Amino acid sequence: MDSNKKYWKGLEELNKTPEFVEKNKHEFAEPIPIEDVLAGGGLGGKTPRRDFLKALGFGVGAVTLAACQKVPVHKSIPYLIKPEDVTPGVANYYSSTYDGHAILVKTREGRPIKIEGNPNDILSKGGLSGQAQASVLDLYDVNRLKNPMKDKSDYGWGQADDFVKSELAAIKAGGKKIAIISSTISSPSTLAVIADFIAQFPNAKHISYDAVSYTGIIQSNQNSFNKAVLPHYSFDKADVIVSFGADFLGTWISPAEFIRQYVQNRNNKSLQSKKMSRHIQFETGMSITGTNADVRIPIKPSEEGMALINLYSAISGTALPGARPLKNNIADKAITLVAKELLAAKGKALVVAGSNDVATQVLVNAINSLLGSYGNTIDLDNPSHQYAGNDKEFADFVSEMKGGEVDALFFLNANPVYDYYNSKDIIEGLKKVRLKVSFADHSDETASVCNIIAPNNYYLESWGDDNAIEGYYTILQPTINPVYDTRQAEHSLLIWSDNAVKDYYTYVRNNWDKNLLAKGGLSGRGGWETLLQTGFVKAAENPKGAYTFGRDLNGVVQTVLDHSAQLADGDKVQLQLYQTVAMRDGKRANNPWLQELPDPVSKVTWDNFAAVSPSDMKKWGYEDGDVIKIEGNGYAISLPALSQPGQTQGTISVAVGYGRTLAGPVGNNVGKNAFPFHSIRNGTFQTSATVTLTKTGDNSPLSQTQTHHSIEGRNSIIKEATFTEYLKNPAVRTGNGKDHKDYNENNLFWQDYDHPQYNWVMAIDLNACTGCGACVVACSAENNVPVVGKAEVGRRREMHWIRIDRYYSFNDNGQGGVTKETEIAKLEDLDHVRVVYQPMLCQHCDHAPCETVCPVLATVHSSEGLNQMAYNRCVGTRYCANNCPYKVRRFNWFNYWNDSRFENYLQNDHTLLVLNPDVVTRFRGVMEKCSMCVQRIQAGKLKAKIEKRPVKDGDIKVACQQTCPANAIVFGNANDPNSEVSKALTSERTYYVLEELGVQPGIGYQVKIRNISETEA
Amino acid sequence: MGSFSLIFKKFSRSVFLVAGFAFFASFAYAQGDAAKGEALFKAKCTVCHKIDSRLIGPALGPTITDETDDKWLTKWIQNNQALIAGKDAKALKIYNEYNQAGMTTFGEISDGDAANIIAYARTTWKTMQAAPKPGATGQPAPETGPGNLVIFALIGVIILAFIIILVLNKVVATLERLLLKNEGLFVEEAEVEKTPVDRLATIKKLAKNKKLVFFVLLCGTLALGSWSWVTMWNTNVHTGYQPVQPIKFPHDLHAGAMKIDCQYCHSGAYKSKNASIPSLNVCMNCHKTIDRTLNSKTPSPEIQKIYDALGYDPQTQKYDSTKARPIQWIRIHNLPDLAYFNHSQHVKVAKLRCQTCHGPVETMKEVYQYSPLTMKWCIQCHKRTNVDFKGNAYYTKMEAVHALLKAGKPVTAALMGGIECSKCHY
Repeated sequence: MDSNKKYWKGLEELNKTPEFVEKNKHEFAEPIPIEDVLAGGGLGGKTPRRDFLKALGFGVGAVTLAACQKVPVHKSIPYLIKPEDVTPGVANYYSSTYDGHAILVKTREGRPIKIEGNPNDILSKGGLSGQAQASVLDLYDVNRLKNPMKDKSDYGWGQADDFVKSELAAIKAGGKKIAIISSTISSPSTLAVIADFIAQFPNAKHISYDAVSYTGIIQSNQNSFNKAVLPHYSFDKADVIVSFGADFLGTWISPAEFIRQYVQNRNNKSLQSKKMSRHIQFETGMSITGTNADVRIPIKPSEEGMALINLYSAISGTALPGARPLKNNIADKAITLVAKELLAAKGKALVVAGSNDVATQVLVNAINSLLGSYGNTIDLDNPSHQYAGNDKEFADFVSEMKGGEVDALFFLNANPVYDYYNSKDIIEGLKKVRLKVSFADHSDETASVCNIIAPNNYYLESWGDDNAIEGYYTILQPTINPVYDTRQAEHSLLIWSDNAVKDYYTYVRNNWDKNLLAKGGLSGRGGWETLLQTGFVKAAENPKGAYTFGRDLNGVVQTVLDHSAQLADGDKVQLQLYQTVAMRDGKRANNPWLQELPDPVSKVTWDNFAAVSPSDMKKWGYEDGDVIKIEGNGYAISLPALSQPGQTQGTISVAVGYGRTLAGPVGNNVGKNAFPFHSIRNGTFQTSATVTLTKTGDNSPLSQTQTHHSIEGRNSIIKEATFTEYLKNPAVRTGNGKDHKDYNENNLFWQDYDHPQYNWVMAIDLNACTGCGACVVACSAENNVPVVGKAEVGRRREMHWIRIDRYYSFNDNGQGGVTKETEIAKLEDLDHVRVVYQPMLCQHCDHAPCETVCPVLATVHSSEGLNQMAYNRCVGTRYCANNCPYKVRRFNWFNYWNDSRFENYLQNDHTLLVLNPDVVTRFRGVMEKCSMCVQRIQAGKLKAKIEKRPVKDGDIKVACQQTCPANAIVFGNANDPNSEVSKALTSERTYYVLEELGVQPGIGYQVKIRNISETEA
Repeated sequence: MGSFSLIFKKFSRSVFLVAGFAFFASFAYAQGDAAKGEALFKAKCTVCHKIDSRLIGPALGPTITDETDDKWLTKWIQNNQALIAGKDAKALKIYNEYNQAGMTTFGEISDGDAANIIAYARTTWKTMQAAPKPGATGQPAPETGPGNLVIFALIGVIILAFIIILVLNKVVATLERLLLKNEGLFVEEAEVEKTPVDRLATIKKLAKNKKLVFFVLLCGTLALGSWSWVTMWNTNVHTGYQPVQPIKFPHDLHAGAMKIDCQYCHSGAYKSKNASIPSLNVCMNCHKTIDRTLNSKTPSPEIQKIYDALGYDPQTQKYDSTKARPIQWIRIHNLPDLAYFNHSQHVKVAKLRCQTCHGPVETMKEVYQYSPLTMKWCIQCHKRTNVDFKGNAYYTKMEAVHALLKAGKPVTAALMGGIECSKCHY
């Protein structure tokens, strides 16, 4: 049974707005000015003809002259003395670490060009986030500081050392405070350096400050179990997951790891063993986690507290004092049902909350304790070290600083002038500090108000280590010499504190020799070398203790209710602050790959915005892009509004991490800074506030990739079923089975191709894909995909070879196919929409429509099942793009690598070093598209030939597949019946997008399954 | 004339040599056989020693004088470590002078062999001193055939002779005319005026012949057309491109005469897409000891360029990295960026000889581009070259290919997909 479920990419499409209908009729987004030319005499007049001939003559002459230049002389400069382990043309891989994940850094001729996950990484098994993928580009950022600075002028390291040391000596004698402000440091060696520094200067103190803080969870564990730790969660062990605003698949604590865990109970393998976890999300704004949930209930920030109280009451069976039914009926009903499900899955349940409020988190702890989660899905004994920020400590420090009690300050990877809610206090306080040192590698908001900037090495230039979760130690090793005259911050601290060990490499080695190598059963020089190869050691896990929540909840409930009451202030709009998957807390705002990565849900690039519920848009009279002024907490910003289905009515969501002013030319003034809406309450930063909205009358269109490529109502693009249906018939919705129609019977147009050796194909599991977009960044890095900027994205000219299509559909109460338009109309409840993500890339059709229309044979079929694209043959007719049913071909409108209009991105000799030398950059006027990483296929085959063995399955991994934390993408040779991809494609869930066209796509998708029970709200 | 002097010089040198050998051979203390010693010297000693100058070890000529104690020297050659260990004063002095770098011990050299080597060192050194120095003869004559100067002189003479002949001819003609005039037979003037009129008339007459005009135009068009056709096809084809390199590196000497394997220097060809130009440490493997061409008296200025680039001082044998600067070779084989080429695929997998594409490099004094490096050239080769399956398990699983093999048909690289776009363009 084919579903007639209605999917839509944007509200324009759903509502069939006149503009959308009009636009959709046309081939081009913008009208082509043919009429202008034809009007007023046009080509028929005498003068245009003469002018035309003149221009033609001049053009031919100029082109001929321009072509008559000497062939440039190319130099070939070999190494003077070649390092033994470098072979020009062959990549070297070094193990290192990023954010606690073990990674591999691919270097060519000594320069890092790609970050790849270490397949043995304990956290994500080789998967990496888009941020990690994009991090390599920041190494080549020309705006990094090139030497130390003092009071904004260049300074030498020797001078800086003398100055800082003499100042420190004087300050030590003076007895006032010294503070090291850092974002969370999980590196044992760095922590040891700081401890040594503090031993040298007893009046010094280390304060951890995270812009997006998890103090609430840490404090709540202190209160509940006397353990001030951030627990390590195991989503893979949970059968029922309930999240209150925790965006654990996007931004919460360790998303790449959580995606891997989460998908383990939802992917093909799990489904085939008839098992699928259930995930219920209560949240305000539409997050990537909410879109992946089986059930998503929109609630206001003010309702979260009461929802948790009710949930506790329902699970424990005794109503807490103050428990009242929620005004939100759907949420209220859901809570009761969720409580039943959680109880049924006792020991295999997990409740998480994104709130940074201690009292809220204590409630969550109490619920988890009732569900027996501790020791099963939550581990307090092997905790996470990824976040350790202490909000209260930092706030106290700010007031001390204002009181003139602090004389020296060191900022390490912290930028509070930008991301602290009350940056005015900081700037005021800083004026009273005698010595202000920043280790920032950019002259950022905080560094620019410091005396001394001692620029830190980039992580790819540094030695170090990391310890993301207890017992898991990863090593950071440099893959390139420092590009500029920078010095590692730890090194500076060692020198300034007159440490016995002056060199940080020696320090790290000593630390490992003494403390850490033994944990992995290693020792000595051999052990160290093994470590540099493997990248990490894993100590035995601590035994898990039993934790039972035993505190009285009455006080906690009162605090929660007070807070809720404060938020539910009359008819004021509630604001929820969140991080976007691409930008997170804004530290990488100067990275163009991340700025151009569309937000998974809203598909907005290069901006933050106010997400407003569609009904509120109507109620308040807003149109998309209307700039509204948001006022609250004594702060105001103006942002364009965006109609976001799923946004709770009466709330707006705004992303933090934007509005940097001194991030660099890429990130400066992109969006507005929403951090000042934070507030501090009971010692923690609060991420929700009440605000008032006013329309400014301006309209600032957002550059979305959302409404591109309308699907024209074709229903074979997305296929979706419920878990119950799947259990009855695994091939549900696919049309697979006996009566599967063969669309190639009447094939008249295309010759059939033989694939004698290989048939490279792909399988994408829609049930595993969370839509995070890491593949998009990985593809850009691997294939030299250019960045085009906000204006060009707005003209639908983004160049990404792979995109994640996001389709909305309405909640159909688990009924499956709704067949009649009238029924669809009844379901049009924009607050409860469902979302399916679909990675869309060139399908490498065997009967490719693009190939048949190319007049110059620039795109042809290969004997290995690839749709090849010869860029230098392409003359840019764009027929292929028009004829492509999947709209995956991208046209180079400009020479993005060398056009002054795009000068803020990658156009300098330095940044160009990040390019993959095995992939050519494309010139203007040329079509490009996914090549299935043909350079990797070729390299894999060559390696096998040299080693005189057949290509093994898994030898060749394409870039998107390699980085996918969910393992949603499988690539391989379909001619090999035992390959992973052959097995995946024989799964009953496999279908081919737009199969009815008979184009024989090479990429099979697996039906999205949602675990929806009949009792659903 | 040049060759005369050359022959004379060579002759005189050999005379000197023979005389020298005969003379020195008569000395009583040179009991060894210098001829036998020469073979031993070249086999065992040349890595570290030269007769006339210091290498890793001292220059043997000035060191082994007539006064040297041969017995001690034999002991030193056979086991210098023992002498040093025995705190022999002379041994310790040399040992310390050469930064305590111990000489290899040669236990296998007998007393007689040692005497031969010593004899060789003595005689050679004497010969060298007795031989006329290049400066003394005042004839820095080229060592191989007539130089450019001779050729130019020859050309000059020929031209001069030609001019003289012309002038003489003219003179003869004038004289003849004078003679004729005197005899009253000179009647040429009328003819001179007639000739141009006739010529023009012929051209006009020919121009009226339409067939001829058509023929001439056709020929012209064909000539011009084929010229532009060829020119356009050869645009950016640089066969024969032979730029002047910063070092006149003679491949004919290294790969030809010395028969050094290509991969000794271009080691990347086996494992990488780049064959790679050798880094200078590879050059120094040999050129640490070889600083001049064969039979040359002075160090080669071209080899000196290697030392300069490395900041290496051949006297002190020390490297100064501050003076080092890489050599900027000029790339001869320029494939465009849009084409991906991998050496290891061709050299290691297909087992092609380097010469297949690079031509007879072993005969090139300076390398030039031998192949056109056009896509047509690539494709032709891919269509004609059979894939070498033997002994490579990579190909075992390819069923379709097997079928062809069974049918007895050859399998070309093209059949294996070797001429598909994305084999080279991505």
